[in-house]
Amino acid sequence: MKAISVLLVEDNPADADLTRETLEAGKLHIDLSVAIDGEQALQMLRSDRAMPDLILLDLNLPRKGGRQILMEIRADARLRHIPVVILTSSDAEKDVAQSYASGANCYITKPVDLWGFQRIVAAVEDFWFGVVKLPASGSVSPEPVAPAEGAERAHC
Amino acid sequence: MQPTVDRSPTPHFLGRESVPDLVAMAEVADENFRLAVEASPTGIVMADETGRIVLVNAEIERLFGYQREELIGRPIDMLIPECLGDAHPGFRSAFTENPARRGMGTGRDLSGLRKDGSEFPVEVELNPITTRNGLVVLSVIVDISERKRIGAERGTGDEQFRLVVEACPSGMIIVDTAGIIKFVNAEIERLFGYPRSELIGQPVEVLMPLRFRHRHPGHRDDFAAHPGTRPQGARRDIYGLRKDGSEFPIDVGLTPVKTHDGMAVLGVVADLSERKRAQEELDRQTRELQRSNAELEQFAYVAAHDLQEPLRMVASYTELLSQRYQGKLDEKADKYIHYAVDGARRMQRLIDDLLAYSRVTSQGKPLLPTQSAAVFAEVVETMHKRIEESGAELVCGALPVVNADQMQLAQLLQNLIGNAIKFRSETPPRIHVEAREHGREWVFSVADNGIGIDMQNAERVFQMFQRLHERGRYEGNGIGLAIAKRIVERHHGRIWVESQPGKGTTFYFTLPKTKDPQPEASKQAAISPSPVPPSEAGRIAPDMKVRQ
Repeated sequence: MKAISVLLVEDNPADADLTRETLEAGKLHIDLSVAIDGEQALQMLRSDRAMPDLILLDLNLPRKGGRQILMEIRADARLRHIPVVILTSSDAEKDVAQSYASGANCYITKPVDLWGFQRIVAAVEDFWFGVVKLPASGSVSPEPVAPAEGAERAHC
Repeated sequence: MQPTVDRSPTPHFLGRESVPDLVAMAEVADENFRLAVEASPTGIVMADETGRIVLVNAEIERLFGYQREELIGRPIDMLIPECLGDAHPGFRSAFTENPARRGMGTGRDLSGLRKDGSEFPVEVELNPITTRNGLVVLSVIVDISERKRIGAERGTGDEQFRLVVEACPSGMIIVDTAGIIKFVNAEIERLFGYPRSELIGQPVEVLMPLRFRHRHPGHRDDFAAHPGTRPQGARRDIYGLRKDGSEFPIDVGLTPVKTHDGMAVLGVVADLSERKRAQEELDRQTRELQRSNAELEQFAYVAAHDLQEPLRMVASYTELLSQRYQGKLDEKADKYIHYAVDGARRMQRLIDDLLAYSRVTSQGKPLLPTQSAAVFAEVVETMHKRIEESGAELVCGALPVVNADQMQLAQLLQNLIGNAIKFRSETPPRIHVEAREHGREWVFSVADNGIGIDMQNAERVFQMFQRLHERGRYEGNGIGLAIAKRIVERHHGRIWVESQPGKGTTFYFTLPKTKDPQPEASKQAAISPSPVPPSEAGRIAPDMKVRQ
């Protein structure tokens, strides 16, 4: 079985490690890449490497904010099909609304305690890699899709 | 050349030698006429073209204190005080050139000069008489000392009134119905920088900034159509225009007044510059205070919020340590990890509490008419597990509609009820919630039969993180009542506590009544739909028991 690949965009290494630890403890084998800022994330996505199946995106990032990255992903015909889960410590209504408006598939406020966080990560794994049907890697149509039509994404 | 004098004691014309024509006149004059002139109660003096006296009557002698022989042939200017006398020859020649009967010095105060040097006020009428020998002037002189004295007495009232008006610290201005300034006092001169001579007779609009002028005649007509006193402060943002072109804020009170020229308007003008400056300063300070409060609020929020991030790491990793390595290291390691985890959790709760406290004001919703009974029902629903576990009995009296942030009212009730459950005694808690009308507010009470508190600590319970009991005995950080207080204060109410240790505690809080009278129950349901059945909407039936 092909490994599921996830790109985590997170500038805090402690946070990134925590996510990695938590994902590794789960039942699925997940190949996790970490980008420490937006520039690096977009660079990785636009390289020849295989596309991730899911992007976990922090909002508060240096150089290029999470929302900006999200908008660039959604504006890029090659990337716009990738589901993006916002994973942030912010619970501000403004951030939630703006994230969905910019094309986020899902918005999660990181729980402050470890058990809560573990529960959330397990739920994300279960939903995106158990419940939801994702497009197969490499099957992406190069045809440009109007942004409005591109809105047919799964939301958790 | 001095004329010779006829010293005849009988009344008659004098100076006939120097004016031969008058002799003839006198000779033909009727005796009655002479008597009349002599007996006239007004002074009569006749002068020739050169200003020499040719005739006087007895009254002139009396008035001026001269014998007539001292006057005949002398210049008439001797009867006039020096200050006027100097100008007199000029007046005289002007009169000679254009003789006509006239009052002399109309509008001027004229005086006569007595032989003893004293002066007295006179009124003079001049009558030119052409004789064969040329022009003579018959002057009729009346002593007006008495009239002046009476006038002055009568004038005292007017004078006092004038002084008051002049000294008045408000500007006073009288404007006629055509908008023409009829009168101003000294303060108007000072305020607007005009001498009054430049204002009298001008349209009142000269005192207004250009942008208001075109509207004013309309306002004036309105006032004329509906005259009535317009007190000061009735209008806002009126400005006066000074002579130098600068503007200043004024307040104007208008009163219709009846003058001898008809209706007019008395305007009382106050300079608001100082008041306005003070008001602006007060506004500025208020804004500054609000800004600094908001900043502090924001600071507390941001501090608490930003503390969460590093704390989340501390908590998560100590928990991860505990999960992975509990029992795998030695006993001490287990204990240390436990302390770290516990410390991080407590800090997390403190930050949560701080944020909750901060959100009372930062994220409060508008105050709207809210059925407190419905809110109470929701709270009971939310807390039912705790109520059940504690065996508490809740009794609710009639609860009104209040202006509130529904969520916060719920939090308030929940905190107070939660407090009552938490600090219960050995016996099962019995909690009574009710509201009573008191003047313009509702006084809510939440009474329990719990352990009570020492009234010495009555104020402390509302302070943040103040605990009256040792840690571990009761859960919590002591934020609940601080939040309750903050919520009540945001709702313009007060909160206080009455308690007896061992007997119980009653928390009271007030909420202002809604402006409208309490609507009917059905209306209340319409205002704020609630899970409470319509029959119970608004006011839960008295003593509804919520027994879990």
